Amino acid sequence: MQILTTLIVPPIIFTIPAVIVGVVSGKWWISGLIWAVALVIVIIRLTFVTRSWRSWGYVEREDDLYITHGVMFRSLIAVPYGRMQLVEVESGPLERAFALATVTLKTASPETGARIPGLTPEEATRLRDRLTELGEAHASGL
Amino acid sequence: MITASPNPPDPTATPIKQTERPHPLTPLVRGWLILVAIAIGWGREIVPGGAGENQFGAGGLTWLLLVLAVVVLLAAIAGFITWYFTRFVIDDEELRIESGAIFKKSTKIPFERVQSVDIVQPLAARIVGLAELRLDAGNSTTKLRYLSRGKASRLRDYLLTRAHGQQASIRDLDQQAAASVFTDLGVADRSLVRVLPQRLIVSFLLSTEWLVPAAITIIILVVTAALAAMPYALGGLIPLLIGMLTLVWRRVIGMFNFTLAESPRGLRVTRGLTNLTSQSVPIDRIQGVKTSQPLLWKPLGWYRVDVDILGYGHDDSDNNESNASSVLLPVADLAEVELAVGRALPGFDLDAIELHPAPRRARWLRWFDFWTLRYGWDDRTLITEHGWLTHSRDVIPHAKTQSVRIEQGPVQRRLRLADVHVHTPRGPVNAVAHQLDERAARELALSQLDRARAARAAERQQRRVDVARTDDHRGEAELLAAFGIGRDQPLGSGGESEVFAIDHDRVLRLYRDRHEAPRQTAAQLQALYQSWSDSDIGLELPLIIELGELNGRFFTVDRRFSGRNFSGWLQHGDMTQRRAALITFLDATERLQHLRSPVPGFARLVGDGAPQQFGTLVELLSNMLTGPTQSSRDQLERDVPHVAEVWNQLHAALAQRSVAPAVVHGDVCPPNAYLSQGPEGPVVTGIADFSPHTVHADPLMDVAGALIFLELEPYADAAADAAWLEAVAVERHGPEIVGWIDVYRRFYGFYFSNAYAFDRTLYAWCLRQLGRSGGSQ
Repeated sequence: MQILTTLIVPPIIFTIPAVIVGVVSGKWWISGLIWAVALVIVIIRLTFVTRSWRSWGYVEREDDLYITHGVMFRSLIAVPYGRMQLVEVESGPLERAFALATVTLKTASPETGARIPGLTPEEATRLRDRLTELGEAHASGL
Repeated sequence: MITASPNPPDPTATPIKQTERPHPLTPLVRGWLILVAIAIGWGREIVPGGAGENQFGAGGLTWLLLVLAVVVLLAAIAGFITWYFTRFVIDDEELRIESGAIFKKSTKIPFERVQSVDIVQPLAARIVGLAELRLDAGNSTTKLRYLSRGKASRLRDYLLTRAHGQQASIRDLDQQAAASVFTDLGVADRSLVRVLPQRLIVSFLLSTEWLVPAAITIIILVVTAALAAMPYALGGLIPLLIGMLTLVWRRVIGMFNFTLAESPRGLRVTRGLTNLTSQSVPIDRIQGVKTSQPLLWKPLGWYRVDVDILGYGHDDSDNNESNASSVLLPVADLAEVELAVGRALPGFDLDAIELHPAPRRARWLRWFDFWTLRYGWDDRTLITEHGWLTHSRDVIPHAKTQSVRIEQGPVQRRLRLADVHVHTPRGPVNAVAHQLDERAARELALSQLDRARAARAAERQQRRVDVARTDDHRGEAELLAAFGIGRDQPLGSGGESEVFAIDHDRVLRLYRDRHEAPRQTAAQLQALYQSWSDSDIGLELPLIIELGELNGRFFTVDRRFSGRNFSGWLQHGDMTQRRAALITFLDATERLQHLRSPVPGFARLVGDGAPQQFGTLVELLSNMLTGPTQSSRDQLERDVPHVAEVWNQLHAALAQRSVAPAVVHGDVCPPNAYLSQGPEGPVVTGIADFSPHTVHADPLMDVAGALIFLELEPYADAAADAAWLEAVAVERHGPEIVGWIDVYRRFYGFYFSNAYAFDRTLYAWCLRQLGRSGGSQ
């Protein structure tokens, strides 16, 4: 999924100025240069994307769920089951095309922002059901 | 019948439920508000542009006025219709609001769901003496506008009473005096902090959020004036000025006459110069407290206090100054801040928390404020501090923690630093511990979850106890009335019962509902006391004259002790007198062992299945510990290092004790003793309240109990007196009892440890008993 955006987005962004420069100035070698830059970015991001993809992880612990992610900016978030108010499974058109889904956990705090992207739909539904069940078992008032 | 009638309707005359309409002036006030809104809207359109004027000739102006008149007329009609079709009922049974001309809507709110009730008085409404009642229930806010001011405040008091699960009749409240026009404080409210206008204005002028835009404005004005380019800057200046005006409106006009008061139902805030808002702050919904101090307030020692209130954050977007706000104090000095924070987070000792600074290497990343970064915690709260231009301190009770996040950027990784964010529901409080050492961050974040879980469990337990406590008073009034005594004559109350005086010789003991099997216990005690009535050990002992039940409440009538309660007396006696009396207290305790036990051998004498006999002392005592430690086990494992070791040592020691059993009261403490004036001074002449703690076991248990429970007395020298009394006891019984007293310290420490759920002082005492035993044996 991320590989796909990495592959598609930079060339598109760079193509627009490249074409404009080419048309306006007629010096198409500048456009070539811009395209080359786009290619380099794609390659760099491709190397990172696998690391970034590998950096996502989650652990179901006895009382809470841990989610880690990030290569440059690392973060670890811990959500107690008893605090989860809502577990969502989302799948956008691109994600659906690759048969992927994202699980999002909501608590009473808007800052929690706990999401696990790039799961298979089966794993996503399993996780959702499991978390809902655990949430009910640990439920506590606010 | 349509208007809010000043006299309550006669209940017998109107079998059909009477619904009411809001005050008849309502459409007028609402129409006025719409007119103002239109005027402001048009004004904004016309004034800044200025260019549109030429388009309107004389004809244009006529049209404009005509359109305006039509709009106002329509608004008035709409207002009238809304008013006409709005009806509400607030009585002893229900709270229901019906509205809508075409689409009928009926909202019924259960009393228990009402979370807060605010009164808002916009200027126009205020002039004619009307007020809006705003009910917050669950996630929705229901508005009832407009009512007369007095009625609104009466209904507020009534709804808040009902919301707390108490029974009240709306008619009782009708006699209450109306609130004042300026502050809207009820009669029962006690003002805690009043913010004086001059302080509010000065503090506002010195606040960072005002000075920064003001400085920018001045700089822009000076620079553009110098360059003669003023007209070009206007586009930027106007929004800036509007922003500053809004700030004045919110911080000065909106906070004018700010009063924080304490009402029987929690805290209450009233504020506002034009719009008067009265808002209740439900303490159990406070999620965190933030104290902040702009740089220039520092020399003046002023602070601002905000709170996160669950559910109040939702209105953030619509910037209406009359909405519920999170300000607890807009400006206050340290003493006032401590007072307010003490009320908002009752029972928290924030000063005792040790704050840790960020490591020095954090200066590379936070060169602008690294010296202000602090964090610290105890078992109930987390505190973080940061900021230089505005220094802020965020306090979050662990029980309110939602989730925890550790973050680390690339530079931080190089410096081995990380941030810890502790998330709470939406609001101004944001606890972030910035730039901790990696390892400290990890430990803080992971242990925070454990602390949060423990705090939540404790809070749940507390709530259960509170609920039980309100249930306790069920049917009490009738019972007291049956005996012809008033609520104002309580002699004392304990965990199990409340005691009221009937006359000189008798008292009424009212058992709490939750107390397990009071009937059985009381019957056993009655038999026990009866069996002792002929034995003379030189002490007054209790006697149960009558057992009974009325309205589901169980009670006994007991013989009244002569003399006065020892505990109350101890707090006032001087040291010589106290110690003389304590000797007689020890004598009385020692006499108890001469009482006859109904069964031979080690046994529990009162309680479920009693008399229950045991082969050895250690079997009996470990049976007694089973119940209490079952519930406190997890808590003890957290609070006492090596608790298993202490437990095993205790059992090993008890197994070695060989002693002939005697009657042990189990809870000989000053509140259970009575004192009379003897020929040589005050003498303890009575011991009351035998209970399920009473056993047939080691007589030394009571001697040890007499001195160690003395430490719990709430007077200054209690600990010193207890140590002195221990020395006296050792002199009497020989030095070998020192070790045994320590053993019983641990025993009672475990035995009363289930107090963690309802009595923190007692639990702290238990921990002391368990802790001090560690080294001595």
